[in-house]
Amino acid sequence: MALSPAFLAELERIVGARGVVSTPEGRLAYECDMHTFYKGAPDFVVLPETTQQVVELVRLCRREHVAVVPRGSGTGLIGGAMAPVGGVMVSMTRMNRILDLDFPNRSATVQPGLINLWLSQATREHGYYFAPDPSSQMVSSIGGNASTNAGGPHCLKYGITVNHVLGLEVVTGAGELLRVGGKAQDAPGYDLTGALVGGEGTLGLLTAITVRLLHVPAGVKTLLASFSAIDDASEAVSAIVGAGIIPAALEMIDETFVRAINEGVGAGYPKGAGAVLLIELDGPAAEIEAQAGRIVQICHDHAALEIRVAQDDTERALLWKGRKEAAGAVGRMSPTWILQDAVVPRSRLPEIMREVQAIGARHRLVIANVFHAGDGNLHPMILYDDRVPGELERAQEANDELLRACLAMGGSVTGEHGVGLDKAWSMPLQFGDADLSFMARFRRVFDPDGIMNPGKLLPSHPACGEGFRPAAPRLPAGTWV
Amino acid sequence: MSAPALADALAAIVGREHVAGSATELSAAAVDGVTPRWRVQPSSVDEVSRIVKLAASEGLVVAPRGSGSALHLGMPPARVDFALDLSRLTGIMEYIPADMVATVQAGVRLDVLGRELGKHGQMLALDPYGGRSRTVGGVIASGASGQRRFRYGTGRDLLLGARFVQADGTVTWGGSKVVKSVTGYDVPKLLAGSLGTLGVIVEATLRLHPVQPASGSWLFAFTSRDTAGSFVAAVLASTLEPDRIAWLNAGALVRAGMDSSDAGVAVSVGSVAEAVSAQGAALASMASSQGGKASVLDEGFWSGLGGALAGPIAVKLTSEIRRLPFWAGELERVFARRGLSPAMVGEAGNGVLHAAAEGSVPPGDWAKEIVSPLRDGLSAEGGSLVVERAPVELKRAADVWGPIPEPALAVMKRLKAEFDPHGTLNPGRFVGGL
Repeated sequence: MALSPAFLAELERIVGARGVVSTPEGRLAYECDMHTFYKGAPDFVVLPETTQQVVELVRLCRREHVAVVPRGSGTGLIGGAMAPVGGVMVSMTRMNRILDLDFPNRSATVQPGLINLWLSQATREHGYYFAPDPSSQMVSSIGGNASTNAGGPHCLKYGITVNHVLGLEVVTGAGELLRVGGKAQDAPGYDLTGALVGGEGTLGLLTAITVRLLHVPAGVKTLLASFSAIDDASEAVSAIVGAGIIPAALEMIDETFVRAINEGVGAGYPKGAGAVLLIELDGPAAEIEAQAGRIVQICHDHAALEIRVAQDDTERALLWKGRKEAAGAVGRMSPTWILQDAVVPRSRLPEIMREVQAIGARHRLVIANVFHAGDGNLHPMILYDDRVPGELERAQEANDELLRACLAMGGSVTGEHGVGLDKAWSMPLQFGDADLSFMARFRRVFDPDGIMNPGKLLPSHPACGEGFRPAAPRLPAGTWV
Repeated sequence: MSAPALADALAAIVGREHVAGSATELSAAAVDGVTPRWRVQPSSVDEVSRIVKLAASEGLVVAPRGSGSALHLGMPPARVDFALDLSRLTGIMEYIPADMVATVQAGVRLDVLGRELGKHGQMLALDPYGGRSRTVGGVIASGASGQRRFRYGTGRDLLLGARFVQADGTVTWGGSKVVKSVTGYDVPKLLAGSLGTLGVIVEATLRLHPVQPASGSWLFAFTSRDTAGSFVAAVLASTLEPDRIAWLNAGALVRAGMDSSDAGVAVSVGSVAEAVSAQGAALASMASSQGGKASVLDEGFWSGLGGALAGPIAVKLTSEIRRLPFWAGELERVFARRGLSPAMVGEAGNGVLHAAAEGSVPPGDWAKEIVSPLRDGLSAEGGSLVVERAPVELKRAADVWGPIPEPALAVMKRLKAEFDPHGTLNPGRFVGGL
């Protein structure tokens, strides 16, 4: 009965008629995440309100061999929350409550649709916060963060999302309601919690997440150092880390971005700087004072043009505003861009930045950079104009060369955005057949019929082509677009 | 294949001098009294792969080992054919201090690695009890942790990438060699703490940390467990940033060479010198408001904690952080019923408690009067009790891991069936009989 009126009736029985989106224009809103290059609308969108509804949805889809595509806020950058072969998209936006705040145990349990920033807002007055801070944190959901194992500027000191997830409630692709981990650490057995984080919805749907809360640090100090050349800034990054200082965040902003941010966001970064480092220290007052002094020294030694220290929260917020809204500011420079998320070992930073510039020059494209320099996680934005014939192709070639350059230095395909549809075909550049086969078999343990988010994360899924009926037309004829 | 033919096949892989077959050598390599048929010492990843492949094709059982210091962990094996000794895999394959990442072979000892990293002011923040002579692979595979986990996490957090040999001998890589990567599934998480039951870790890429420029350690002695618990809660609720927060009972304090008191909390801080002394002063003032007496500790105190946890019986209890003082009391109470007086050391900021005891207890009493009551209470709160070391008869009387709730156990069984369908790697020793 797949995707028949009877199937729709089943969905409505589970989540209620108001919980199903089936109109063409309604489904259109769900055809892509923030990587708008990849489009595929689901046949139905369902918005469950309870874990039990999610269990029933997955069991129904498994019985009917229908693909299940999880979606949080849809702010992913990898073509993850879209439906390349149609099926049922499960949007978690109505499951957005905080279930438990437990400060003595330094933990919180939340539903997957809860917005990341809301958790820190709810806990900060008690002296706690949730450390993972992707730039999308004011809109992205914690379920999405855990599914993609999201990062953020402060991961340098505090680690990525997986280091902050203590337990999960998951509905697996086999339709099981699985509870793993929790407030008590080191549960005996395999670390399923750790292995499920970053599953990108290919293993199951997260329905509750228990996370670690950290105490708000005693003090914060934010510095901004500008340099005439990106090379100097890169060397300064190595020297800071080499001095045994792990700042909370260590972000690089290149000349192109400094210009765009100043014009678009008005952050007031030093005009004409070839590169800017945004450095944040947090911790006990005496520690950050001493470290700040050392960092100022190091930046001077590396020919810094100017060093500013935020004097209060307002100044600090302004320094960060430019960084957090950088992706938006780039709209002033170019209508379209390709964003890369590759990683290089920190020591190769000066080298890869020279390579990025060379690749841009070779393809006659501007490549703008704003990234997490402290951990070597690049975010080159390859700017192109899709109205100019051939530019998209040149941008794609540049993107490919860049990725290969990073991997040749011992890097990784993605540092924090995830694989999704976008990078599934890059996986063989980093992993061998045996490695990929291990991952495919791991996936099958949770999703024996291959219904969970097909086409994502791995270059091909063992169940692809067998488990699915032929894809329905993505959008019916006559839909207004 | 006949026994002599197997011995020849092993010798062909590693050389005759690295295959031990004498009764003395083998009994020294016994696991819970079960003697392996051979102890084999490969010197390369390829040799490990060929040994495992040989075992798989012959239907034999492989028990991997590092320094051999954690062989007591797990259920007693039904049989062991190859004791796969990884202590010759001692290569530090890649270490670029500026990256703060090192790739090492599984048999590298923590003390050897520590000396190399120390030359560059760096460290691997894994400090299992009694463990500087333990190997990297063994510590990660056995999920061993120590007091530094409060600040730096455990093996799962520090293992960025792993090369491992699957049950059919296939050499496989998971994870990455950079500090931040989300490319594909986090396979290293699956291997950390899996006791070699899904694959034999042969190479680990590790996240390192800078050694702090200054550090200070203090012991705060209290007259009751409750006041010590209140002090820990106050530290956790403050903005202080300790490296380690150890809770010790009277037995552990005495064994660690300290003056006896009802409970002690040892705290260390690593930072710049100014911040160390400022935090030390803040800790002392918090402790004194709970009636605690402060004394300064040297670094040797921390490495001596393993000695405080010696003894034929050792358990690891986990609970909610705030419930740890309660469970420490319960553990002491049920042990005392059978005349056991445990030394206890808690990772107080993580809700983890290690207890060790001398003496003996009848197996039936062990299961019914000690293990079951604790597990019943703990499991209602999501906690656990793992018997990490005990005489074989006690291990047989009560599953050392405790029950795993469904459907988590079903998933774990499917993982084992997928990656080791013929039970080549440490069969029967892990949770749920896996």
